[in-house]
Amino acid sequence: MSSIKPFSKLPQLNTANVLLVENEGKLQNDLADAIVRQESNINVTVRLARGLPLPAENEENRPRIDLVVFIVHLFSEHSLVSTENSLKQLDTGYFLGKVCFLVTGARCGLVPDERLVSLRKLAASLHCPLLFAEHQTREGVSTAAQRVLKILRVSAGLVPMVTGLYLSSVSRCTVPLDSDGSVQD
Amino acid sequence: MEAQESATMTPRTNVTSGRRCLGLEKTNFRYTPGQLTALRIPTSRRKPSKRNDIDPEQMAYIANIEWKLSYVTPLYQFRHTQLVLYSKQLSAFIVAEKQKGIAVEVGPEMGFKVVFSVVHGMTETDEDAETVFIKIYSKPAFSVEGSAVKVVWSGWFTCVNGNLDYMRSLPSDFVSLPLFCANGPMSITALVKSWFTRMFDCYFGPLSLNSSILQWLAALWTECHPACNIRYLKLAWNLSTLPPLDISYTVHPQDAWNLWSSIRQNDSMEDSISIEKVRCFMKRVESHFFRHFRMYLSAGMLTRVCTSLGSAHCDGTIKITGTHYITPVLMLLTECALLKMPI
Repeated sequence: MSSIKPFSKLPQLNTANVLLVENEGKLQNDLADAIVRQESNINVTVRLARGLPLPAENEENRPRIDLVVFIVHLFSEHSLVSTENSLKQLDTGYFLGKVCFLVTGARCGLVPDERLVSLRKLAASLHCPLLFAEHQTREGVSTAAQRVLKILRVSAGLVPMVTGLYLSSVSRCTVPLDSDGSVQD
Repeated sequence: MEAQESATMTPRTNVTSGRRCLGLEKTNFRYTPGQLTALRIPTSRRKPSKRNDIDPEQMAYIANIEWKLSYVTPLYQFRHTQLVLYSKQLSAFIVAEKQKGIAVEVGPEMGFKVVFSVVHGMTETDEDAETVFIKIYSKPAFSVEGSAVKVVWSGWFTCVNGNLDYMRSLPSDFVSLPLFCANGPMSITALVKSWFTRMFDCYFGPLSLNSSILQWLAALWTECHPACNIRYLKLAWNLSTLPPLDISYTVHPQDAWNLWSSIRQNDSMEDSISIEKVRCFMKRVESHFFRHFRMYLSAGMLTRVCTSLGSAHCDGTIKITGTHYITPVLMLLTECALLKMPI
């Protein structure tokens, strides 16, 4: 089992690599197709994983991962639990602007509110952006792919004057303030 | 005089402060600019206790029937004193709609008789409005006086232990009866809802029971086991695998009680159940299943909880058979309805 490190390998020219981590494996493939099909002037490689840590066999062939996207389905409790377990295995260097959360099912009435609240608190404590996606329609998946691609370009260093750390401090998830002004802990 | 006054004041303040010190977790999802208070998801509830002051005849209206739940926004100028007038207006409305061609039922010509009634004793606090029951009887066109009338549709509005801040923040003409239960043909339910919407400027919406509500119900009913035997604890999950699996898991009541009491052994004297205990209970039930079948039940959705005290389904239907423990269930459902309300 190897843990990926953000700066242990050399970057390739005009290339960005993203790792999609999802326990269920449902949205990964569609999202990967949508990302690759987006019009862009850079080479994008999408790697898929069901959880971290990644197996050691592919260590040499694996390029430098610029962005790790954790896909969480709010329909199942198990998705959130496995994401939290995977997070513990991720190298801390990634949390400076190279991690992002993608959440599906946030609008469904059958989802207990506590799950989204705890996920927001988690994302806020890690200073990571939290994206909401609609995974059942093609437009939803392509919109999610566009947003992931925007963040990927920044964290791969392909946007001048903007770094992943800067973007994450601007776009990170915040937990809303309480009605009487105190911050929720 | 003053001594009497203070004696009546103290229990109430104790109760309200007791409620405030129950764990509360705040959510701002329903915090719209017009709302005066942010509603909170409670993280602990009182232990269920038996209530003996409800008229068993009136309870018989509610028990053993499968009700479809909805939430209702507050009703404008609804008066509990004008129920007879409302009965007449609603029956006239149904007849008029039927004549317009909005078919109620294809069948022999029938008249409808609507009866509104109040069921006393179901409220928990002074702010709760009294429960209102509606029954629609069908009268065959050529009936003889005194012949048996059949109940075609029944429904009720209730508010049990509603959120005090919310109720006090409502303007004075509004009555809050957030939980609406209906049983009968969908067409009549739609007619009744549209009449209420027109008369009292309210909005009905579907109330679905999410998995944390169902988990609370499972825990509350298990808690009642020593007092009245629940006979079984049946849980149903829906796993979105290929092919989709429906799993029905029945737990022997004594085993469920042993598990629950072992989780609660530290604070069995306390009056409230916290959500952590409920989650722990469900996790242990799920991990037992995993040990035998190697399947994660938490990856699916909890759809149904059944005991001999009642059953609840995630799409918003509930059936209550044990009328003595009806109050905790209604409290839970009222909170659920209040949380779902758009305002």
